[in-house]
Amino acid sequence: MPTLFSELDFKIYPLSEHAVTLTFGSEIAELTAAKIARFNLLLEANPFPGFKGCVAGYTTLSIFYNLLEVSSSELFGENGFEKISHYLKSLSDNSKLDGRNFTPKRIVLPVCYVADYGLDLDEVARNAKLAVDEVIDLHTRQIYKVYMIGFVPGFAYLGGMDERLATARKLVPRAKVAAGSVGIAGKQTGIYPLETPGGWQIIGQTPLEMFDSGRSQPSLLKAGDEVQFKSVNLEEFKALEK
Amino acid sequence: MTISILKPGILTTVQDGGRKNYLAQAVPISGAMDNLSARIANIALGNDEDSATIEFTYAAAAFKAETDLVIACAGDGAMLVADGVQIPSERPVFIPAGTIIKLINNPEGATTYLAIAGGFEVPDVLESKSTYLLGCFGGLEGRCLKIGDRLSGGENLSSLSQKIIASIKGPKISWPAWFIPRSSLLPSDKKTIRVFPAGEFTWFTPDSIINFLSKDFFVGINSNRMGIQISGDKLSKRKQDELLSTAVCPGTIQVTGNGEMILLMADCQTTGGYPRIGQVAAVDLSLCAQLKPNDTFCFTEISFDEAEMLYIQQEKILQKIKLAVKNKFLS
Repeated sequence: MPTLFSELDFKIYPLSEHAVTLTFGSEIAELTAAKIARFNLLLEANPFPGFKGCVAGYTTLSIFYNLLEVSSSELFGENGFEKISHYLKSLSDNSKLDGRNFTPKRIVLPVCYVADYGLDLDEVARNAKLAVDEVIDLHTRQIYKVYMIGFVPGFAYLGGMDERLATARKLVPRAKVAAGSVGIAGKQTGIYPLETPGGWQIIGQTPLEMFDSGRSQPSLLKAGDEVQFKSVNLEEFKALEK
Repeated sequence: MTISILKPGILTTVQDGGRKNYLAQAVPISGAMDNLSARIANIALGNDEDSATIEFTYAAAAFKAETDLVIACAGDGAMLVADGVQIPSERPVFIPAGTIIKLINNPEGATTYLAIAGGFEVPDVLESKSTYLLGCFGGLEGRCLKIGDRLSGGENLSSLSQKIIASIKGPKISWPAWFIPRSSLLPSDKKTIRVFPAGEFTWFTPDSIINFLSKDFFVGINSNRMGIQISGDKLSKRKQDELLSTAVCPGTIQVTGNGEMILLMADCQTTGGYPRIGQVAAVDLSLCAQLKPNDTFCFTEISFDEAEMLYIQQEKILQKIKLAVKNKFLS
């Protein structure tokens, strides 16, 4: 039986002179995301000379490095790209022997879904032909997967929203959406980490700082994490707010 | 050493070698758009080459020497003038306290870098001094410089910087005959940008690919530190696949839904969902940083192997230059 960790096959292409991209699948899938998270950890535990870091995509993992360190290293290959490709393939082959369990971190995000914060809660409820309470119930019931962080610092692409909540983006985007706003756009849900313009349907707000450049890990969420929303009232929201 | 900003210009920020360790959290690299110019200005002062500089976009800016200064400038967006004399670039320059330095228009390019002995001192945010405007952090309070801002150079000068300063210090503006010829590191044709095929290159029609690699394109007016908007022939896809969001980086050329290209630059987002037709060779990103709205330019194809080789060659030359400056003063 193929297990999660015995199939870390990928295709590889150069992204730039300083990065390669590994492709682990062709569709958004939890298994693919798990492979990406798994390979990311494997690489962080076994870095090559010049390794800088990884960026996860839906089906990809891009690996950034210092080309000068790679090309002057003892890794096998004629140029930087060959050296990296060879190293990553052998890492993937050897990983089959490594059966360590990978347990994603789960983060509970308090969200205040009251009218002041859930600006479009009524619109989402109307569109879904549900009561507002049912919308909140469906939104807080799921465990969401963080597929990737991108778009703006700390923005998490979450998978797993109940499709009954799917709502088209607002016809006219707001000029300003507060940091921490929780929104729905089509079949996606997400949290605005910074105050930016935006067209998502806003259903609530979290008092937690999704991104803070003063923290050593500025983004609260990382690719591979799991997220659950927890409904809090206004008092609890204010108490949690910095 | 301290300067004060008398006139900030349209987009003036503090930038260093970039913020490279937080891509996984979608924090852009930022840093100097024309990295080569910024590095050369720093090397000319004996600074660490990635030290913080001030990036001026175009001219119409001015600053004052609040103390005696030793500075170096590089880039094609402006010419620095003090007391009616043009300050030469790519070399250290001594400027006495009280001097007013103006940036006047240079039609050659877009950005100019001002380096100061010791590097400009602003707080580190996520291991870098670069300004990231969208995130409102880094540089000076996360923003563009404005009138009255005072910026100082770091006080811990390298022994090389100290020797360089001692060699030109005097009662009036002075500079040495030696300089770092940036042009020797650049191709003679600055409007032909070398690219290699990116992930979705084959998604485009043969006509579009031929046009991409042969036609003239123009720089759009909505270009900024995040990306250069490219206008000209529109490109069309052969297959209607959608790309699932994946990592992108400075130099990535995305094609939007209406067939227009965007060349991602220093402040670009870390992931994108538009198909990518090409990737600009890293050595040519400095040329792209000097493009201004309405400039005409074209792309030419090289192999990925060649792009890698060009980068390594350029880095080796820069290492030799650094060594030559060091040997001149410390041997």
